Order: sequence, then structure tokens, then C-alpha cells
Amino acid sequence: MDTRVTSPTGTRPATPHQLTWLGTQLDAWCEEGLLERDQAAAIRGRYHASRRVSVGRLLLALGGAFVGIGLIWLVAANLDQLPPLGRFLAVTAIWLALLAAGEALAARHRAGAGPRALAESVRLVAALAFGATIFQAAQSLQVPAYEPKLVGLWAAGALLHGYAVGSIGPLAVGQLAGSVWFIWQVGYDEPSGLSVVLALFVLSGLGLGLAAVHQRLRPDFESSYRELGALFGLAGLFAAALPFLTTDDFGWSLGTAVGVTAALLAVVAGAVLGRGDVRIEPVAAAAVALVAVGLVLWDTGAETTGLDVADWLHALTSVGVYVVVAVGVAALGTLRDSWRLTALATAAIVVFTTFQSFAVFAEIIQGAWLFVLLGLVFLGTGFLFDRARRELAAALEGESR
Amino acid sequence: MRIRLLGLALAQLALVGVAVGPQLVARTTGEDYLMRVRPVDPIDPFRGAYVTLAYPDLRGPGGSGRPRREGGERGDVFLTLVEEDGFWVLGERTRARPDSGPYLACDDRSWTVRCGIESWFVPQDRARELEDALVDGGVATVRVDSRGVAVVVSVDP
Repeated sequence: MDTRVTSPTGTRPATPHQLTWLGTQLDAWCEEGLLERDQAAAIRGRYHASRRVSVGRLLLALGGAFVGIGLIWLVAANLDQLPPLGRFLAVTAIWLALLAAGEALAARHRAGAGPRALAESVRLVAALAFGATIFQAAQSLQVPAYEPKLVGLWAAGALLHGYAVGSIGPLAVGQLAGSVWFIWQVGYDEPSGLSVVLALFVLSGLGLGLAAVHQRLRPDFESSYRELGALFGLAGLFAAALPFLTTDDFGWSLGTAVGVTAALLAVVAGAVLGRGDVRIEPVAAAAVALVAVGLVLWDTGAETTGLDVADWLHALTSVGVYVVVAVGVAALGTLRDSWRLTALATAAIVVFTTFQSFAVFAEIIQGAWLFVLLGLVFLGTGFLFDRARRELAAALEGESR
Repeated sequence: MRIRLLGLALAQLALVGVAVGPQLVARTTGEDYLMRVRPVDPIDPFRGAYVTLAYPDLRGPGGSGRPRREGGERGDVFLTLVEEDGFWVLGERTRARPDSGPYLACDDRSWTVRCGIESWFVPQDRARELEDALVDGGVATVRVDSRGVAVVVSVDP
């Protein structure tokens, strides 16, 4: 992210949170005799409080996403004022203009004449507009509805865009579209619960494995892959813990086999090429995947009239495993300075606990008592979660020094 | 940078070509066959309203209805076409590609047989009109190329 924005007085913007942290550190250094008070004041005077940079960047990113999604929506509206070929040419012209505009703005930024956030925003719109182009072409030529291949090709184009220009926006579009495509394709080829769980863990292994590889080859893309891997790891474990999700109708499709092989290769590559404790992440993803498959294979029967001991054991094991993995993701967020990972882990544990409480405890406790119990579960889980996260992060930080 | 940008645009355009290649070939090289259809009216989240077309004459042992899987086998399936009273109907269903046409190249990996001719994209209001107009059935003109790739080119009440 670009932070080379200065005010007319020559000071640099910083968030109030950053200024508070800096003030605390400067005071500590003064007390230790490392700095004189006037030196600390001079350092503090180099910055001014501002939220404008982050708010502006947020608005540009949101604006880009809205315009891009709006373009796809316009394609879906099937505007019949233009013939199919005319619509395709119009959408293609918009996409190419955005592609060129994004690079022109990036060139201006490199020359010191424009903000990077604007160029990134237009690149994001261009990546979304490429999807609109594919969908418009498909609509104009009556490609069958619900064709997962189209989303896969959109993902391929967006990833190509991201790597060609070194931009996070198109990369994120490609990662998300590619994930949607893979889950959709696997579910289409072999519609079964285990197939979906495997697909989610393929994405998790690919994400964390490629994050470790990118740490060495392309550090600016590392966190994006890590967050994707963590997201799908938590989603896969959530799915695997569902009591009604079984191995029924499972079969190895070509997509599943290729995906699992690619994920294993990514895990091995990440473990070999990653530096320091980053190489642990893909191995951990593979271990969690094995546990998740074990939970799916552990079939407690299809009894719907009540819960037996096996159901309780399955639920408690699932909750235990999920809490441990979520704590791990939260600790990873602390270690890698990613608030998104910590927020993801927190949201995941809330959703998972709520779901499991209603799925398991609601059988025997109903109404107001269920909410009281859920609240107690939250309080207990939250306390243990926060304590475990802090201790794990402290231990890992100590080891990495 | 300009060369890289041009290369990127061309590569992405090639991906658009891959997305619609089979339908483009069928449209430009295929021949037209009339088939009886019945409509349903759903929405595709990325591409808007369309009419789902059911082909009563292709049901028989398979067709575009729920697939019949011999021994659990699924994957590519081919439907040969024969003419009957001016319309093209199912001849036979086979896992091996027929030596000669006309036939439809389909797959039954999912819950239904898909031959690429089950949807007809139209604006939302026209989808509703068409659904009403086709309530007693209609006729689809389907263009099929030599490899069995098919695309709907028109639907009439």
C-alpha cells in the first residue's frame, strides 16, 4: 500500500491509532534514555492525524466493486435495446477501455502524478468487466445456463490480469471466481457432501501452500493467498462437522482428483520453499483436512428422532477441533499482522458455535433456556478463545525470534 | 508496458473465445433441426432471465429429462436424431460417439441430461410473454454441427 502521501506542510498522515502507539513508544524510549524529549517531539511532529487516506481508499475500492458488479448486472438485465452482437461489442469496448485506463493511471502514479488507489480501483473494475464480457458473449451465443466453465474462464483471465500488472484487485477477483468455479464444478460432477468438503480443503491447501511460495517469489500477494486458505479451511471444517453430511454418493471425479493433487503439490512446495514458521501453515492445512475427512467418515447414523452418545461425541469432537483451528487462525492473524484473519476466526467461531448449539442442544433444551445456554457457551468459548490466542501467539513469537 | 497490456488483452480475449467456441462453431457450421419444446422460467444470476426448454421428444430412454444410468455409469452420452412428422426426435441413446449424424453430444454427470440446448436467454418481460405463449408447447430451431454440439437459434410458439 502506498503511504507516500504528504501534507502541504511536509508531514505524513497516520491514523490516530498509529499516533497513539507511536506516542507510547516515544515516551518509553525517552524514559529509557534512548531519546531526548526534543528529539521525541521532532519525530512526533513528522506526522499528522488523518483518516482521509484509508477512507478514500475504501471508497475507491467500494466504488470499483459497485461499478463492476453493476456491469455484470446490466448484462444479466439482457437489455434488448441493442442486438446481441451490439451488446457484446459495447461491453467489450468498456472492458478494454477500463483495462487501458487502469494502466494509464498506474503509469501516472509511477511518475508521481497520481494516487495509486485510483489506479487500483480502475484495475478492479476492469477485472470485473472482463467477467461481464464473458457472460455477455455467452448470453449472445446462447451458451447453456448455469455453466461453471464461464466462471472458471473469468477467474483465469482475472488471475492473468493480476499477475501481469501486479495488482491485488484483479488477483482477488480471480481467486474468488476460481474458488466459486472449483466448488461448483466438483459439486456438479460428483454431487456429494464429501466432494464439497474435499473441494473446500483443496482451496485451503492451495491458498496456504501458495502463500508460502509467494512469500519468497511475490511477497505482495502472500497475504491474499493466506486469507483465502484460512477462509476455506474454516468453511471446510464447518461443513465436515455438520452431522447430516456423509459420504453418500461420493465418487472421485477428474476435477476432485486433479484438485487434491494440485493442493498436495502446493502444500509440499509451500513447506519446502516457505521461510521460517510460514512453512508450517500449509502442513497445518493438510492436517486439518485429514481431521475433517475423518469427521465426515465418522457416520453416527441417520436417526432423526433423538441424539445418542455417538451424536454427542461427534458434536463435542467437532466443536473441540473447530475451536482449536479457529484459535490457530486468530493467532496467525496476530503473527502476520492481519486483522482480517483475526476477524475471520472470530466470526467463524460465533457462527459455528451458534449453529452447533441449535443443531445439537435444541433437541433437548428449547426456548429461552437455549438462549441462556448459548450465551454461556459464548462466554466460555470467548474467554478460552482469547486466552488461547494470546498464549499461542506469544509462544510462536518467542519461537520465531 | 504497452506490449504487455496488448498481450494481456489478447490472452483474455482468447479466453472469451474458449467460453463460446463450441457454440460459435455450431452457429457457423451447423445445420438446423426443428424440435418440439415446452418452457419453464428461471433466472441465471450472472446472465439474467431465460426460458428453460424441455424437449418432450428427447425424453424416451434418457433424453433431456432425468437420466437413466445403466450400472451407475455417467459422463458423455450421445442422442441420435431421426425425423418424424417434420420434427426431430430421439433415435437412440449411446455412450459411444455415433459414426454419422445427426446426433446431440450431451452429458449426464449431473441430475439431468444436458445437451446445451436447455436454455433460451431473453429479457425478463419477454421471458414471461414467451412462457405464456409456449404453454401448449412450441418449436425450437436447433443448429447442430458435425460433432454434435448444438445451440438454440430461435424459439417460436
